[in-house]
Amino acid sequence: MTFPGVIDINWTLLAPAIALLVTAAVTLFFALFSRDSRGAAAVALIGILTSMVFALVQLMEGNQTASSFGLRYLGDVPALTLTLVILLGTAVAVLVSWDQLGRGQMAQPEYYPLMLLSAFGAVIMASAGDLITLILGLEIMSLPVYALSAWRTGDRQSEEAGIKYFLLGAFGSATLIYGAALVYGASGSFVYGDVAAALAGGNLPLLATAGGALVLAGLGFKAALAPFHQWAPDVYTGAPTVVVTYMTVVIKIGAFAALLRLATVVFPVLQPWLLTALAIMVALTLVVGNFSALMQRGVKRMLAYSSVAHAGYVGLALLAPDHGGVSAAAFYLTTYAFMNAGAFAVLTLVADANDHGDDLERFAGLGRKRPWLAAVMTLFMLSLGGIPFLGGFSGKVLVFQAAIDAGYIWLAVLGIATSIVALVYYFRVIGYMYFRESAYEPPAFRSSPTQIAIVVALAGTVLLGVFPGWWHTLLMSGPRLIAGF
Amino acid sequence: MVLVPLAAALLVMLARNSLGLARVIAVAGSVATLVLAVLLPDSRGFDAQWLPGIGVSFSLGGNGAAAVLTFAAALMMIPAVLVATTRVEKGAGGFAALLLVALAGLNGIFMAKDLVLFYIFWEATLIPGLLLLGIYGGERRREATVKYLVYAVTGSFFMLVSILALKALSGAPSFHIVDLMLVTPNLPVATQTWLFVGMALGMAVKLPLWPLHSWLVDLNEQNHHSGAADVLGSLYKVGSFGFFAWALPLLPAGAIRVAPILLALAVVTAIYGALGAVGSKHLKRFLAYGSLSHMGIIGVGVFGMHLSGLNGAMYFLAAQMISTGGLFLVFGMLYHRRRSYDMADYGGLARSAPALAAFSLFLIFTFIGVPGLSNFPGEFTSLLGSFQATPWPAAIATLTVIVAGVYGVNLYQKLYQGPTDVRVPDLDVLEMYVLLPVVVGVLWFGLLPAPHMERIETQAQVATLQLERVTLPPGGPTLSDVGGAR
Repeated sequence: MTFPGVIDINWTLLAPAIALLVTAAVTLFFALFSRDSRGAAAVALIGILTSMVFALVQLMEGNQTASSFGLRYLGDVPALTLTLVILLGTAVAVLVSWDQLGRGQMAQPEYYPLMLLSAFGAVIMASAGDLITLILGLEIMSLPVYALSAWRTGDRQSEEAGIKYFLLGAFGSATLIYGAALVYGASGSFVYGDVAAALAGGNLPLLATAGGALVLAGLGFKAALAPFHQWAPDVYTGAPTVVVTYMTVVIKIGAFAALLRLATVVFPVLQPWLLTALAIMVALTLVVGNFSALMQRGVKRMLAYSSVAHAGYVGLALLAPDHGGVSAAAFYLTTYAFMNAGAFAVLTLVADANDHGDDLERFAGLGRKRPWLAAVMTLFMLSLGGIPFLGGFSGKVLVFQAAIDAGYIWLAVLGIATSIVALVYYFRVIGYMYFRESAYEPPAFRSSPTQIAIVVALAGTVLLGVFPGWWHTLLMSGPRLIAGF
Repeated sequence: MVLVPLAAALLVMLARNSLGLARVIAVAGSVATLVLAVLLPDSRGFDAQWLPGIGVSFSLGGNGAAAVLTFAAALMMIPAVLVATTRVEKGAGGFAALLLVALAGLNGIFMAKDLVLFYIFWEATLIPGLLLLGIYGGERRREATVKYLVYAVTGSFFMLVSILALKALSGAPSFHIVDLMLVTPNLPVATQTWLFVGMALGMAVKLPLWPLHSWLVDLNEQNHHSGAADVLGSLYKVGSFGFFAWALPLLPAGAIRVAPILLALAVVTAIYGALGAVGSKHLKRFLAYGSLSHMGIIGVGVFGMHLSGLNGAMYFLAAQMISTGGLFLVFGMLYHRRRSYDMADYGGLARSAPALAAFSLFLIFTFIGVPGLSNFPGEFTSLLGSFQATPWPAAIATLTVIVAGVYGVNLYQKLYQGPTDVRVPDLDVLEMYVLLPVVVGVLWFGLLPAPHMERIETQAQVATLQLERVTLPPGGPTLSDVGGAR
């Protein structure tokens, strides 16, 4: 519903996003006078917390029919909950960066405003109700991260990561924009609901189909779904680990938040084969991600491929929007944010200052040398592998159940078969920590902000594993703003 | 039941620097769990929402076989933590804590009334076992750990697909056993067969059935030499319970189609295990094969799908936890004296250690199923029940009892008699305390089978009634008749 001539702006709804934007500006201003990156981190953290409060208040109010700009910016339960998860992921990334930037000689205060701007973009993507808002969010989210990937100046790997990410990311964005334009040409609208309504009558123009396929491919790039995943492992390996902590969590959630809405509302009325294409992409992602991760010797690269694999599990739920897939995907993304960010946070404490020395041997004997760190890492690995009483398991059950309900039993079987592979490489880390000894002494790097980040991530992982019900119920609640969503 | 051992494990972990305190807490935790297990049959179940969105509840109940199995498990945990906190050289507190965590998981497996919850405990219990093996195991522990992991996880993930598909296909409102049992037997036979095969893959690994058994032998061989971790191993052969409590009642038509194959495999397992035991020179491998043979007999009892066979199988499962676990502890004591598991290093021990010899003879007799001791009632009923339904397989499996006599007596002679005269110290006070609960358990299960058998029977009837629903024309007895005049 649109009101010609009147722009309806719901400021309350925009508050979480605006808080991020304002904080980014303040932090940038702050950086003019003080080169202290920790100060910037503190300001950033305050901004994120404020934004979280805004989102939480709206979620608690139960005012989930709100929208702004005529259904172009949504404030329903999926948008608000995913906003919260994005903010949590960003907060963890800020905490992990706190000491790590200085240790790795990367302590420029501009780091934090860039991260906040990117999170701002991710929040917009999660709330987008039309293709233009989506594209805006995507660009705002991506541009700062291109710079962040190359943050370790003078390091060839990091610079290569930045350039590679920029080129391929630009290609992905272009594909998406082109697709959006074609969809507009076919339907005369950008708003999801209107697109679906305009095209629902059958007799689809070729334009719409082509547009849908391009949109899917473009978002597939960002979500790192195979065969559009190739950039991910290289970028994740080259970029500073602290940035990867942010990227693997927030960027992925942003992309999936958008995919979630499109797969629910727009794709089904386009071509049935779009969903088949998505199913094939998911299957490929599961196989490629898990088997590539199995081959890795470096923990960072292993986690990079494993994050590709996890995109596949979320993808399973995307295919089943009418069978609880939306809440399952959102739940999975939540647990994934916690456990993945946690694993990367531990990695920053174990690896060298320049992010090298992340191979498995580095973890040998950690169980004896740093028992608590090893225990925590064990829990993250087990959760990523989907072992019960940890968040990863609850997420997997929900995702598989949704896929089976929707009739994708073959995909669920594939998902479970690849989970076995996954458990082998996650367990390998545990094996190194406890079952092997090494003469090597790991760097005795300790950082209390990182520890806080790990505790937050661990609390989330365990809480969602032991008591998954409340969060899942919350995700399922609330009225649907667009038909079918 | 689940919380007490968990809380004890946490306390033990915190107190791990003061071993004496840790020991007291661990033993107290096990005793408290045992007391709860005794009270369990009269307690009310526990029921709470867990993942209401897809119908998973946190439902526990202590009736039926759960009461018996949790009792046996908790009883064996007392000697296990005692040994763990005295005979483990490094990280004894962690060892005991892992044992207690595993006990919590086992209790969860036996008491779960929700299929997903059952799976959760099933899978979660794997982790402490893996860590015990990987951290505290012998030289080739890494290979054994990987083997165990791959077998267990592969099996159980297929089980998970079946579980999730079960609700989706049958349209049951939740994963609670009562909801499921009403509708799942109405599924088409082909569907039931596939789902049953999926579940059977997971459960057969942990039964364990030949040819999915080989992790067990390596696991036992490589586990810590005190034998305490093997006690857990003998507790964790829960596959037959899975068939008994879940797969048979939920998918009776599938069970009837697949059971003949499983029955044949169980017979092979029984014979293969017995022959393996005869051929073993390594004490732990011997015991692993011997208990594999027992598992085969339990399998024969379960897959005969006859009421008394099911009954006996579950009773045997509980009883073998005590006898096998006890023998592992005795072998751990032998190792403590001679630093060897090779039978050739022993002989004539009865002269220098008469008490040790007496206890060993007692447990070996139990192990081979001498009447009056704990293994006999279950083994006998298991075979007898199966014989009524499927005479030939049961008859062949009975042959293993003879083989058991051979390997049992043979073992005793090699260790305690003979011309070689190895001198070792006799049992010390600690070891007496360790073996005391084992002996009590053996006698209790051997002499007083009736109360426990009755408890199991209420649950066995559920399975047989579900099976009859498929084989008999409609109008036969229904679930509500359970506990009637049978």
